[in-house]
Amino acid sequence: MTIKMTGVWKTFGEGHTAVHALQNIDLANPQGEFTTILGPSGSGKTTLLNLVGAIDDATEGHIEVAGVDLAGLSVDELVKYRRENVGFVFQFFNLIPTLTALENVELVADLTASNGAERAAEVLDRVGLGDRMTHFPAQLSGGEQQRVAIARALVKEPPILLCDEPTGELDFETGRMVLDLLQRVSRELSQTVLLVTHNAAIGDMADRVLKLRSGEIVEDVHNDTPIDATELTW
Amino acid sequence: MVKPLHRKLIRDIARHKPQFIAITLTIFLGVAIFGAAFDSYTNLVASYDQTAVNYRFANLTIAGGDTETIAAFAGSDPAVESVEIRTTADVPLRVDDTKLLGRAISVPAGDQPMVNQLEIMTGSYPANGDANVVLVEDHMASHFDLAPGDSLDILIGDTWQHVTVGGVALSPEYIWPARNRQELLTTPDNFGVVFVSEELAEQITGEGPNEVAVYYAAGESDEEVSAALSAEGRELGATNIYTREEQASNNALTEDVKGLEEMAIFFPMMFLAAAGLAAYVMLSRLVHSQRPHIGTFLANGFTRRQVLVHYLGYGIVPGLIGSIPGAIVGVLLARTITRLYTGILSIPLTVVDFYPTTLIAAIVFGLVASLLAALAPALVASRVVPAEAMRGETPSGGGRRSLLERVFPPLRKVPAAWRMTFRGVGRNPRRTIYTIIGVVLSLMLVLVSWGLIDTTRHLMDRQFIEIQREDATVYFAGPTATEDVAALVDIDGISSAEPALTMPVAISANEAHYETALTVLQDDTEMHRFANVDGGWIDLPSNGVVLGQATRDLLDIKVGDTVAMTVAEGDTIRPIVAAFVDEPLGTMAYVGRAHAEALTGSALPATSALISYDEGVDAKVLRNTITDIPRVAAFEDAQVLFDLMQRFMVLFYAFVGVMLVFGGAMAFALIFNAMSVNIAERTREVATLLAVGTERRSISRYITAENMLVAAMGIPLGLIIGTLAAGAALSSFNSDLFTFKLHIQPTTYLFASLAILAVALISQIPGLRAIRRISIPQVVKERSA
Ligand SMILES: Nc1ncnc2c1ncn2[C@@H]1O[C@H](COP(=O)(O)OP(=O)(O)OP(=O)(O)O)[C@@H](O)[C@H]1O
Ligand SMILES: [Mg+2]
Repeated sequence: MTIKMTGVWKTFGEGHTAVHALQNIDLANPQGEFTTILGPSGSGKTTLLNLVGAIDDATEGHIEVAGVDLAGLSVDELVKYRRENVGFVFQFFNLIPTLTALENVELVADLTASNGAERAAEVLDRVGLGDRMTHFPAQLSGGEQQRVAIARALVKEPPILLCDEPTGELDFETGRMVLDLLQRVSRELSQTVLLVTHNAAIGDMADRVLKLRSGEIVEDVHNDTPIDATELTW
Repeated sequence: MVKPLHRKLIRDIARHKPQFIAITLTIFLGVAIFGAAFDSYTNLVASYDQTAVNYRFANLTIAGGDTETIAAFAGSDPAVESVEIRTTADVPLRVDDTKLLGRAISVPAGDQPMVNQLEIMTGSYPANGDANVVLVEDHMASHFDLAPGDSLDILIGDTWQHVTVGGVALSPEYIWPARNRQELLTTPDNFGVVFVSEELAEQITGEGPNEVAVYYAAGESDEEVSAALSAEGRELGATNIYTREEQASNNALTEDVKGLEEMAIFFPMMFLAAAGLAAYVMLSRLVHSQRPHIGTFLANGFTRRQVLVHYLGYGIVPGLIGSIPGAIVGVLLARTITRLYTGILSIPLTVVDFYPTTLIAAIVFGLVASLLAALAPALVASRVVPAEAMRGETPSGGGRRSLLERVFPPLRKVPAAWRMTFRGVGRNPRRTIYTIIGVVLSLMLVLVSWGLIDTTRHLMDRQFIEIQREDATVYFAGPTATEDVAALVDIDGISSAEPALTMPVAISANEAHYETALTVLQDDTEMHRFANVDGGWIDLPSNGVVLGQATRDLLDIKVGDTVAMTVAEGDTIRPIVAAFVDEPLGTMAYVGRAHAEALTGSALPATSALISYDEGVDAKVLRNTITDIPRVAAFEDAQVLFDLMQRFMVLFYAFVGVMLVFGGAMAFALIFNAMSVNIAERTREVATLLAVGTERRSISRYITAENMLVAAMGIPLGLIIGTLAAGAALSSFNSDLFTFKLHIQPTTYLFASLAILAVALISQIPGLRAIRRISIPQVVKERSA
């Protein structure tokens, strides 16, 4: 799915205390493009993902996904959009503490598939947690929790994948494994990916690298020869 | 809903087990009390109704006047099924050595009467010609241990006539043995009913039948028919007319049952309200702490409706688990209560039915309460803004001086750790408010029951110690000269004696009538004190009558108005109303002897003497001495009456006592929850404090101090709301027979407050123990939670 933003502003608060989290963003991502977003803390990265994921709305401007303006969708249509088109990996993983790893993924899988449990198990296997499925979040390490969150996003096989620092908690090896998975899955499914990271090295595997500062795009670099995630080093 | 959501629901509930158990239990209790009390009420009313029909309980009784004509008139009314003419006489009886002022009622020989039929317990109904065989009413028979073949004496003229007990009978008119509506309490030593032949009855009165009992075709009461017959009866000189509803025994029983009905609604409502509020508080906290998860649901494409339904589930689960067994237990309990009650009161017929509507209503009440409680938090959950909810928990409230510090500046000088305590109270207003609600609810639950008990005890003391000052009442067999009363003082053990004349009277004003007893007292009486409705004690006025306060509204009169008072003989006097008195029991009329004699224009006799004892006298010995006097019909010791009254209240005390225990248990659960959640919510904060090197012991101290401070803040509000709730509970009991004014002892307030603080303190223990076990790495890692 293509994502197209024109003149998008996001402002929190009013008057003196207003924060312009995003300022006049123009951006077009064709279907299948893997984009990494870099930028200092508070530069608006999470805000940008939230707008694309339709869990927040723009103060000004238009966001079109596959040619449809999100602002024009009804509440029910937005729910459907999120359910069928978007996979989220949150910065704070937001796993449900009273559900096991498998159940956390199944919860989301059930929304779109009838064999939710099977698919959830499959995806958990792919992120290397095949032997941790019955563990509760509190029994998992930070990195393991993050991989559950990634599995939860992938299980729906959504056309759009929004990842907020998916490797922040992971060691080099596991991080690379997760990125490899993301790369392969997104290529397989021709997913449009927006991946926020503080790690500039990850940009090498992306089709495109954006840099945000104070809510503005300050750099937009296309990479015609992205390398395989397995070749990344940092 | 999706399966994992069900699992989340169940595990969340398991995680907050104590809170959910407390809420479920409160709902269970509320629903069970409702089922038990309401079904008992329904069963008892059905039992009374069935008894009334089976024994053809009179719909209207007309005493005095031209009995024959009244009976003929009543008989000609198509709405009337049966009319019975009979003779009723209050007459001294003697069983062994005990004299009592009893009542003889005539019944036809050979056949049961057409109205007010009897249930023969033992022996047999008197046959034709057995003029000297009597039936003894069940209460009297059991008190004096009378059985068929035994004998007793009836005073006819000046002679004691020996009669034989032919059987023991129950009567719909004397299920609660009361002389009349104003004298609902009589000791069995002082009142008993015998059913005699018409012949014997006429010997006693010396004249013909004096009462007409009417039974309507419909079996039920019919106000129009009663009004028409009463008007005609009054026209024909009747002096005392009462409907089935006004009949003394029936009135006492319905009053009692009415109380049960009020409690059947009030107490369950209170419990369900408490459960609802507790659930609301807990679920609000739960939703608040799960905001990030809710954001995740919504971001992943869950609908707001799914979220709403999920969180309503937290209300539905305890609602169902509490109310279904609650309703069943309640309905089953009702059967036992009904049987116990009808057994204690020896109501001849017990109807124990299963009422599906009660069962359903009870479950619906429980469910509605829990759903309502869950609705607001569930709506909040469904309206969460996902982007905001998932930014991670930011500490709420800033660093601010607390109100306490602003009000008492010296507090700013206390060590920093203690200042933290004050600020903690204001920093998390949600937590503070929830805790205060818990304390307020707890005090309400406790004070309502405790207030009812306090009030009743106070009123008993007021009636039997402050208002009625006599140690005993001596009843004479007939009108007695006041000089003879004065002579009683010569008897050893009696320090003073005052003549009293009590007679039934119908007070009329503004087209309304009220039937009660008028007592003529010595002008400067020491035996009765008068509590003016406007406060303070007053002397018996030398001009006018003193009336119980209920007449004010019933007759629409005020001080200074003239009322018509028709006494038994049909004479009417027209005194002015001098004052209204506030008396807990009954609504009576009093007048000074001099004024009464001026009104009637004749010297008046006495029917009884109010006496006080010498110090240290043996009441039993005195009783025997006095009842040996031929003129004396009965002797009633005030203490015995007081004890009887206490026994009458046993059912009430038992019910309210149980409520107090339940309320106390609920209060404990509520506060326990509030406190343990307060501590649990602060795990992260505590872990941080531990990480920077604060001692666990001092952390425990700060947290305890903060919690106790909040609990103490809730107490004044709780006392006020508890008092208001107790007042509301009481007002439903008021009638012309009982005037309840809330009276809560200061010590009750004190003990209730101390109990709350004690519970709050005890409730700290598990949470503080948890603090001792906190593992810093664990808490820090649980970023997802
Ligand atoms: N709900 C909100 N209310 C007020 N300000 C907000 C809100 N959400 C975000 N902001 C502000 O918007 C700006 C951008 O926030 P955002 O979360 O997008 O940053 P970010 O680039 O993701 O930072 P980080 O790398 O620290 O996660 C920040 O200055 C933040 O304080
Ligand atoms: Mg961010």
